[in-house]
Amino acid sequence: MGQRNFLGPSGTVLGHGEFWLLTLAGFGLFFGTWWGVTALGLLPAQTLPSPLDVWQTLVRLWERPFAGHVYSEHLGASIRRFLMGWAIAVAIGIPLGLLMGWYRVLDEVITPLFDSIRFVAPLAWVPLAALWFGTGIGGPLLIIFVGSFAPCVISAYRGARLVEERLVEAAQMLGASSRQTIWHVVIPGSLPSIIAGLRVSAGLGWQSLVGSELIVVGAGLGYLMVQGQANLETSVVIAGMIGIGVVGFVMDVLLRAVESAFRRRWGQE
Amino acid sequence: MASGRGARSWLGLPRSLVLGTFSVVLVLGAWWAATSGFRLLNPLRLPAPVEVWVAFQQILDRGYAGGTLWSHAQHSLGLVAKGFAVAIFTGVPLGLLMGWSRHAEALINPIFLLLRPIPALAWIPLAIVWFGLGDTGKIFVIWLTAFVPSVINAFTGVRQVDPVLIAAARTQGASTAQVIRHVVIPGSMPMIFTGLRLSLQASWTTLVAAELVGAFFGLGRVLNIAGQDIFPGMIIVGMVAVAVCGAVTTWLLGLVERRVINWRPAV
Amino acid sequence: MSEIVFDGVTRRFPLAKGGDFLAIDCIDLRIEEREFVAIVGPSGCGKTTLMRMAAGLDFPTDGRVLVGGKEVRGPGPERAVVFQQFALMPWKNVRENIGFGLMCRGTPRAEREEAVAHYVQLMSLAGHEDSFPHQLSGGMQQRVAIARAYVMNPAALLMDEPFGALDAQTRIVMQEELVRLARRNPRTVLFITHSVEEAIYLADRVVVMGKRPGRILETLDITATRQAENWEAEPIEEVMDSPAFTHLRSRIWRLLKAREQEAPAA
Repeated sequence: MGQRNFLGPSGTVLGHGEFWLLTLAGFGLFFGTWWGVTALGLLPAQTLPSPLDVWQTLVRLWERPFAGHVYSEHLGASIRRFLMGWAIAVAIGIPLGLLMGWYRVLDEVITPLFDSIRFVAPLAWVPLAALWFGTGIGGPLLIIFVGSFAPCVISAYRGARLVEERLVEAAQMLGASSRQTIWHVVIPGSLPSIIAGLRVSAGLGWQSLVGSELIVVGAGLGYLMVQGQANLETSVVIAGMIGIGVVGFVMDVLLRAVESAFRRRWGQE
Repeated sequence: MASGRGARSWLGLPRSLVLGTFSVVLVLGAWWAATSGFRLLNPLRLPAPVEVWVAFQQILDRGYAGGTLWSHAQHSLGLVAKGFAVAIFTGVPLGLLMGWSRHAEALINPIFLLLRPIPALAWIPLAIVWFGLGDTGKIFVIWLTAFVPSVINAFTGVRQVDPVLIAAARTQGASTAQVIRHVVIPGSMPMIFTGLRLSLQASWTTLVAAELVGAFFGLGRVLNIAGQDIFPGMIIVGMVAVAVCGAVTTWLLGLVERRVINWRPAV
Repeated sequence: MSEIVFDGVTRRFPLAKGGDFLAIDCIDLRIEEREFVAIVGPSGCGKTTLMRMAAGLDFPTDGRVLVGGKEVRGPGPERAVVFQQFALMPWKNVRENIGFGLMCRGTPRAEREEAVAHYVQLMSLAGHEDSFPHQLSGGMQQRVAIARAYVMNPAALLMDEPFGALDAQTRIVMQEELVRLARRNPRTVLFITHSVEEAIYLADRVVVMGKRPGRILETLDITATRQAENWEAEPIEEVMDSPAFTHLRSRIWRLLKAREQEAPAA
């Protein structure tokens, strides 16, 4: 959000100083309201702990275990699960999408199956996953897979289909075999779309991970939040939310950087 | 692209239809074979098609987990509708405001920056603390899910309105209000609808999740209870119901979009 | 053997609302070996479609297209194509783009590098071997595309308005260069353009096409005039100023105009 040319549709120009002032005011507004509400006792501490409470809880959780583990262990468990599930989705989804984009026959066979499953919300798979994997790691992995799979396939598919037809013709004209065309033209040509898709897929996968941890027992940030909620320790819940937000944010920033790097290298803006 | 020219129809039918039907039939056949036909899988793992049918009839007539299929679906859809409506009527105007005014954007953006990375599902425990397991909590979570994409897409929609159009309107003497009403809002509609479509799908996903975690009623609760009862047939029924509702709502929104944005060739 | 033969070629395109659009109506054309033939005509007359059929990127609804006596079944490096939009791979540098066909064929590295270096020199691309397409001007990119085609030692060269995307000045320079290249490395060339001057300047024979449906209006032999007037020795601006050139140009213009008035753009 926010292009830096400072000229909005209303025609008003926003000075640099004004911008930073308002941004700081925004942050201030957020934390100020939060702190104000708690300081004035408008809501019970159990409903909304003050920012200070949350901070202290974070520190406490970092050192002393809650729901069986310290904060860093919960964090680690969540990230590990996510990466495993996401990696599987990427490893299967992207090649599949590319092949479907290239071989029309494959597209026509798989798309109906894909479309019928796509509309089942990822978390709706939880009971089935529990049936298949019990309390093992298979359950959350399946949920994460289901959540991140579709964007991978779709972005790879679109990427392959949108590769400039002239490039494919040029390659064929120069004598490239189907395999060579896919390797040298289709895959590089689809990379921008794929990387954009990875961002979406990671976001959805991370969300699915959190969701699965709300239900499936174990360690993890989601589990931490549920335990906090059960014990009516709201600051623990918020502490969990912060961790989730930070990881999601960092992931997004990293993938965005990868996306820009690719764009710049190949001059495709 | 690669697979040959022509040969798009087999036996007079479009090839895609033939292949599509074939693959669906193949999968269904394999399902039947694995479960009831050859009993390759433990029926507790994957229910046979017959079991699913039985469960479907049960929930249709006698009900399950406190209600019939229709009452559960209605309840869930109702919550999505309410939450979604609130999200649109709060999110889109806010997005439009932020898009139009750089000042508003600078002020409100930080709040978004802080809250956006937190996925909607992560708000569920907090929502339960604040509102309990009832409807209000569910509507709150749906509102959260649908709110952010609405704002962002309305914002982007305004920003991508061709400045030449705005300039042209102004040279014809349009006031700010008129410019917003006749240029900015129609111009942002396509992007807003894209956002709405995403919001709707996300809302639905979030509601199901919220109901699964804990609810008194709804499709998510059906899934939850079916899981606890170890009733595989009902689990599948629940999943299918969720999928159907998701597809139907998406389709309905598509219809609305086509009626509202009738000045564009179908993209 | 590289003569290109269009034998009773017709091309119809199915329309969305049913029925067919007759793009090309029963065309017979023979391009002899090592002959440079330009096809000129208005947009939509089917000239690009003809070239694509010779390239194997499209197929006739009726009739046959033969190159070197064999019916065309698909694209291949013996009928190299130079596209209007360059079609260079943005993720490969100049060297890799030029050598792509050789790599696909399995040419050993040393041989490949030698061939690429030769054409880099020939097409005045020295110093840019490691550049990526987006770093090059339009004219440079098209030079890479031409080098890429030539390096495969094709029997026939098919060029689809190759200078259409270039600015006027670059275009003139490229036309001169192409003439020099073609005289030094003669091949069968089918050159598509909508610029009458370009066609007359470059070709041995100019085929004038009309549209709706696509048909050959007339074929003009340029070789006689070129040799008589000794165009090879003159700079391009002198050639295009000469009476013989102007006369040919007017003649073709009149043909196209008359056709346009018969069947005005609907």
